[in-house]
Amino acid sequence: MKNNIRIERAIKNLTQEDLANKVSVSRQTINAMEANKYVPSTLLALKIARIFNKPVEQIFMLEEGD
Amino acid sequence: MTKAFLLPNRYKKIGWIILIPATIMGIILIIGDFETQWFSTRVFAIFSDEIKSGQFVEGGKVFSFIHTNITNTVVGVLFLIGAMLTAFSREKQEDEYIEKLRLSSLLWAVWVNYLLLLLAFIFVYGFAFLNVMIYNMFTILIIFIARFNYILYQNRKGVADEK
Repeated sequence: MKNNIRIERAIKNLTQEDLANKVSVSRQTINAMEANKYVPSTLLALKIARIFNKPVEQIFMLEEGD
Repeated sequence: MTKAFLLPNRYKKIGWIILIPATIMGIILIIGDFETQWFSTRVFAIFSDEIKSGQFVEGGKVFSFIHTNITNTVVGVLFLIGAMLTAFSREKQEDEYIEKLRLSSLLWAVWVNYLLLLLAFIFVYGFAFLNVMIYNMFTILIIFIARFNYILYQNRKGVADEK
């Protein structure tokens, strides 16, 4: 699964820390998602989408092989 | 979200405070071949038997009070309590990713522990195997604590230089 959290973060001018606080996870978690090392739970994906005011599909996308 | 069964974060520090001295005492016991006598007292034993001049004394005692050297017991108990508190306390921010790291570290620790035990089974014979059994009582926890904290450290390091 890919995501464009990093891009959305840049648009909103949020640091990893800011986003982490908004969805109450650790900064490591945001970092791991951006590095494609971690696929978040549905709950966390929904929370992140809400922060960016976009549907989940515009932030998280399936990749080939998923 | 359902939370994993873990202790509050403050117990982690307490765990380290117990674990570190217990480890040092444990090493001293290993050097002394587990014969060290720091504490002796009367204790309640569900089961106890004695070895005298290399032979088991006939008829172990069951459900009785005995007077014995409890140095190994005390150090072992301290070590286990310290290690359990350290291993099973929540991180400051225990979220789903940290929980995943925790579980994968535990899986890794069980794998490594049993691979080492397998090697020990194949290559260690005779009375020396008793030592393998003694160490093996503690190795899963030790390997898990080392692995999990190493992974956390690596993650923090990776995060430190990103904005």
